[in-house]
Amino acid sequence: MEKESELIRRCIEAACQSKESVEKWRRQRRTLERLPSHLSQSLLRNLLRRRLLFPSLLEVFKYSVEEIDLRGENSVDAEWMAYLSAFRYLRSLNLGDCHRINNSAVWSIVGMTSLKEVDLSRCMKVTDAGVKHLISISTLEKLWISETGVTANGVALLASLKNLSVLDLGGLPVTDSALNSLQALTKLRYLDLWGSKISNQGALVLQRFPKLSFLNLAWTNVTRFPNLSALECLNMSNCTIDSILEGNGDKAPLLKLVCAGATFMNEAEAFLYIKTSSLSLLDVSKSSLSRFGVLADMKMLEHLDLSSGTMGDDSVEMVVCIGANLKNLNLSSTRVSSVGIGILVGHVPKLENLSLSHTAIDDVALSYIGLMPSLKVIDLSNTNIKGFFLQPGTESHVDSTLTALQSLSYLESLNLEHTQVRDPDLHPLLSCKKLSHLSLKCASLTDATLHLLSSLPKLTTLHVRDAVLTTNGLDAFSPPTTLRVLDLMGCWLLTEDAISQFLKKHPQVEIQHEIVQNLSTEHQTLSNRLSTSQQSLKGPQRNKKQGNLPMPECFVDQRLKYNREELLALQFSPLSLQSPHDAGSVIPNV
Amino acid sequence: MKRKDTVKLISADEMEFVIDKDAAMVSQTIRNMLTSPGGFAETELGEVTFPEISAVILEKICQYFYWALQYSRGKETEFHIEPELTLELMMAANYLHT
Repeated sequence: MEKESELIRRCIEAACQSKESVEKWRRQRRTLERLPSHLSQSLLRNLLRRRLLFPSLLEVFKYSVEEIDLRGENSVDAEWMAYLSAFRYLRSLNLGDCHRINNSAVWSIVGMTSLKEVDLSRCMKVTDAGVKHLISISTLEKLWISETGVTANGVALLASLKNLSVLDLGGLPVTDSALNSLQALTKLRYLDLWGSKISNQGALVLQRFPKLSFLNLAWTNVTRFPNLSALECLNMSNCTIDSILEGNGDKAPLLKLVCAGATFMNEAEAFLYIKTSSLSLLDVSKSSLSRFGVLADMKMLEHLDLSSGTMGDDSVEMVVCIGANLKNLNLSSTRVSSVGIGILVGHVPKLENLSLSHTAIDDVALSYIGLMPSLKVIDLSNTNIKGFFLQPGTESHVDSTLTALQSLSYLESLNLEHTQVRDPDLHPLLSCKKLSHLSLKCASLTDATLHLLSSLPKLTTLHVRDAVLTTNGLDAFSPPTTLRVLDLMGCWLLTEDAISQFLKKHPQVEIQHEIVQNLSTEHQTLSNRLSTSQQSLKGPQRNKKQGNLPMPECFVDQRLKYNREELLALQFSPLSLQSPHDAGSVIPNV
Repeated sequence: MKRKDTVKLISADEMEFVIDKDAAMVSQTIRNMLTSPGGFAETELGEVTFPEISAVILEKICQYFYWALQYSRGKETEFHIEPELTLELMMAANYLHT
């Protein structure tokens, strides 16, 4: 979609200013009817975001909106749906995580012949009865009903939606016979069956879907299934893999293969029938794969995840063979050491993203990493990196090993958390002009680090955790103008005053620190209380930090509102104990 | 000489707004009309008629053109939009690519 122009953005902002401003334009029916769909959708989104949208206001959009995304809106219920059913041109309706949607709410959209896409993911109250309503919409092409209350019987009913090309049945108890009855859906391109009860017997039916290009069988008992000639993406995470895609005809043009946490019964056979030469993504993290000979053929590989696996220095040769196109390589929590990194040098010309966290690499690896010219993102956290070499003989002369990174002219992100790097060792980073993300977490870092990093020109996110930063140090810190996030968690010497002083001076920077969190949690608790009287109208305020986390309409259990860190912070916070309202009702027993 | 530096914008209800060419050029649509080599009547006469835009909205649009010019030159002031004008103005802005 093209970017909104400045004036349009300002108009929408003005239109969504307050309840009063909405009243000023909502009667302009003729104009609303003529509104181009992208403008009315943008207006609707903004009303939703500003919590100004209520069911009867939806009516003004009924001739102009074609797509509506209400994901995670707890207030959306049958009344909303009744208004939505009048939307003449509605093509796509996203109700994912709308927990008040039930079967009778779904009944409202029966007969909406314009509808092509419906997302009911995680609407737990939708069951087989809801599916009976859905199958009346014969135009449906894409349907998401993962983690709903639909059973195998309901799934079998979907067979009448002949136009379906995308079907997400994740987390549903789909049985072999239910899948069998879906054979009529020959247009299926995308089928998600994670966590279903499909067996090897049922998986034979998959061959009946000639266009199937995406298949997710994660967390199922399927160990083998026949060749699917159009398959491009396959997810077999946490499955036991015996033999996949065996059979005659063209080999599947597989591009992405995810086998995270999978157990291979026979490694040689598991990949025997896969056209590995076209593969661009392979994820075998946490899997039992131990012989990496299968990699040898994967010349097109761009993303390779070997983390938490059995990879060691002796197998790095295999990665070398296929390094030419590699962009992402994850070796975290493997047995790879600095020696292994040395073997990679010169064979990974395009490598942009390298993760080595939780490995035994030390400062020697840094000199090798410095020779991988395309690197943008490097994760070296939880390693044995010290940041310096002691020159033998001259005890006092200390060289920073980070100097090696100066040659990486594209370096954007560097993670050195839980390493022993100290203030003076960081000096070489100043010549990494593109560095925008830097993470440090070490108790031996001091104010000098902050002072030093203030001259990094592109820094946007800086984590300096558990450091011995003082109030004076923070006061003297003049952040680069680009800085947006400053994470100072665990810097226990900092006072509330120091932080609020800093925030006043640099309002563009968001500080993350235990004190700030307490303050904002406190703020939320208060505002939640203030708004309880209006909640029946507006629905609960959603905490932005929690993203798409589903939340029930009324909080039965207060623990749901906060994440664990926030809770712990609350528990020990002197502020919450002093707060004017009854803190006891907010602080649950952890 | 003077004619060259200004353009006349005519609203649906035939109100005429004479504004600087620089300001009118804030709109990509008007810019195209005035500069395209195809010999549009608009290019010749320096006049553009908008049969879909009312005088009230066109006046606001003209105000915005001048405001946007000043803004681009570093003068940061607020541009107030009355809520009752938002819908029509939005559509006009969409048409004018401004």
